[in-house]
Amino acid sequence: MTAADNDRSPAMATARDLPGRQDGADTAPPAQEPASAAAAGRLSGLRGVDPLDVGIVIVVLAVIVTGMLTTRFFSLANARAILASTASVGITAIGATVVMIAGSAVSLAVSQTATVVAMIFLATQQFGLAAAIIAGLLSGVAMTAIQGAVIGFWTANPIVLTIAAGFAIGGVATWISGGTTVYPQVTAFNGLNDTPLGLPLAVYVLLAITGVAQWLLRRTTAGRYMYLIGENPRAARAAGLPVGRVTVIAWAIFGACIALTGVFLAAFNTSANASLGGTLSLDAIAAVLAGGTAIGGGKGSAVRTLGGALLISAISDLLLLRGFSTGIQLLVKGLLVAFVVIAVHVRSTRGRR
Amino acid sequence: MIRRPAAPPETLVPGVALVVVLITFFCTPLMSGRALTAFDVYNTFQGLAQLGLLTLGLGLTMIAGEFDLSVAGTYVLGGMLAVRTGQSSAILGIVLAVGAGAAIGAVQGGIIARLRIPSLPVTLATYVALLGLTSAMSGGLSVTYTNTGATLWMDRHIAGIFSPPSLITLTGFVIAAAVFGGTRLGREIRAIGGDRRASRVAGVRVERGLVGLFTASGALPALGGALFSYSYAAANPNPGLQPLILATVGCLVGGVSLVGGRGLPAGLLAGALSVALLGQVDAITAIPDYYTELLYAALLGVIVAVDAPGLRRGLDRLKARAATIRTPDRRP
Repeated sequence: MTAADNDRSPAMATARDLPGRQDGADTAPPAQEPASAAAAGRLSGLRGVDPLDVGIVIVVLAVIVTGMLTTRFFSLANARAILASTASVGITAIGATVVMIAGSAVSLAVSQTATVVAMIFLATQQFGLAAAIIAGLLSGVAMTAIQGAVIGFWTANPIVLTIAAGFAIGGVATWISGGTTVYPQVTAFNGLNDTPLGLPLAVYVLLAITGVAQWLLRRTTAGRYMYLIGENPRAARAAGLPVGRVTVIAWAIFGACIALTGVFLAAFNTSANASLGGTLSLDAIAAVLAGGTAIGGGKGSAVRTLGGALLISAISDLLLLRGFSTGIQLLVKGLLVAFVVIAVHVRSTRGRR
Repeated sequence: MIRRPAAPPETLVPGVALVVVLITFFCTPLMSGRALTAFDVYNTFQGLAQLGLLTLGLGLTMIAGEFDLSVAGTYVLGGMLAVRTGQSSAILGIVLAVGAGAAIGAVQGGIIARLRIPSLPVTLATYVALLGLTSAMSGGLSVTYTNTGATLWMDRHIAGIFSPPSLITLTGFVIAAAVFGGTRLGREIRAIGGDRRASRVAGVRVERGLVGLFTASGALPALGGALFSYSYAAANPNPGLQPLILATVGCLVGGVSLVGGRGLPAGLLAGALSVALLGQVDAITAIPDYYTELLYAALLGVIVAVDAPGLRRGLDRLKARAATIRTPDRRP
């Protein structure tokens, strides 16, 4: 598509921001596609056999059976370990779900944002825990909401923009911190490492955030708009929905989730350097996709993402207990995500082909 | 309102970027205090060899409107496979690496083309799986390549500024350019990226084209990874996201659009060369890393602004309003 084409049909370009989106568009007229896809999804559900559900049941059963044959898999300590590892990626994944439902696909700036929030959180410890958390949250929301504004109002491509934002955030952070590790002057954050009822605080936060996100997506006007915009941005714009504003809200929520992850990472590691964020960007996307949220937007839920994150953690934990290397854990995770992505796609397009 | 810019972005963007980066490169003696030598140029081409084929593979899929994240996976796997299997025969290692990359790409392309599924989530899953496979092959550790003969051969200077890997990389771009310029395939690939439905109606064999492209985007990074591992005498199972990000920057600077339908192999070469030159500028002047990071951010920021239809729409609206004020009798 040339620049001239964009001038002629800017809304079309919006609908096709995402590479591969045109796949849907070339099998059915864009305006009718979502309705028929949803209908096909419902119908196939009624017909009883859904490849995704069958597959997930098989995977879960396999995990349970292997778990019963593995010593210590079904123990309280191990359940705690699984939940704790779910929490670290899960909180960010819930935010990523909201953004993906609203049609912005993925962000590749997550690791850098979480790292910078962790640094800010640690650098403001002397003002007290509440102030430090607020500083971290505000900075995370600001950094991410600005990206959302550029995407929502200017229809910028999310992948290119977030790569640019990742460079900018990482660069400014190194510039200010001088490339060194940030240590707190005082440690006000010890309370965040508490384990009420034997579970890390982050697990409760994850559950609360999942609940809030689910309520927001299903029960509020902004949430319903997010599904509509993700389903068909062209139609949403034509119908006069506040696409820009809603996209900013979605990204602001994402920013808050990334910031919370950053705060917990900082409290857990008690210091922050440039590599603290690690592979958070891709881990979060993997959890969202494993939960069955469609990359094109308009479908998915926070609860499903929680399930996806939990499944990934449980499988990794099981493989670890059975003595498999990190490499094998990654391999299985990749295959699981591939399976869910393909199954979700086949289900949503069944009956159209 | 249809405006045609003086030059299409696919030649304008890489042209301007390459000229700017070249000027920066030739200005480095002002900062480092020592004149540029042929060795600096040699090192630039070594940098090109490191990321060039990765950029080419990714760029070809982007021209067709897809985004193959798994190039970073086949790149890592290719390097590891070549080192593991090529200790006695370097050629055998390269053949196996390229074969594995091509096979993975073909399977992936088949799934994407047959099911008409967005490539981003599928290739992301493949990337994670390949990273795991590579790590499992090496126990998560770097593996040394002990065939010193092959490593020395890889680092030979040819004509002062080239080495075998950089010449192979350049050959890859020349072949891609020849295919794009001389056969129907180039136009078909751009058509697939521009409007897939229309190209299907017009008789372009979209599925075959996609499978071929993904085979190439599996094989090329695997070759690149193998060459790099040989020349570095080691294979790293997890170099992180950096190679993928730099290759994406190379593609975007090379005038490719993520929406598809736009881009040329020559532009991709200019983009990859720009990234390599910036890397060399970095090495010569020993400026802190964050300068480069902020520079990349600014570069991509410009590209985002150029590519954002919403921004252009807003500007057009402003222009139209100005025009209406000047000539109130004519509606824009």
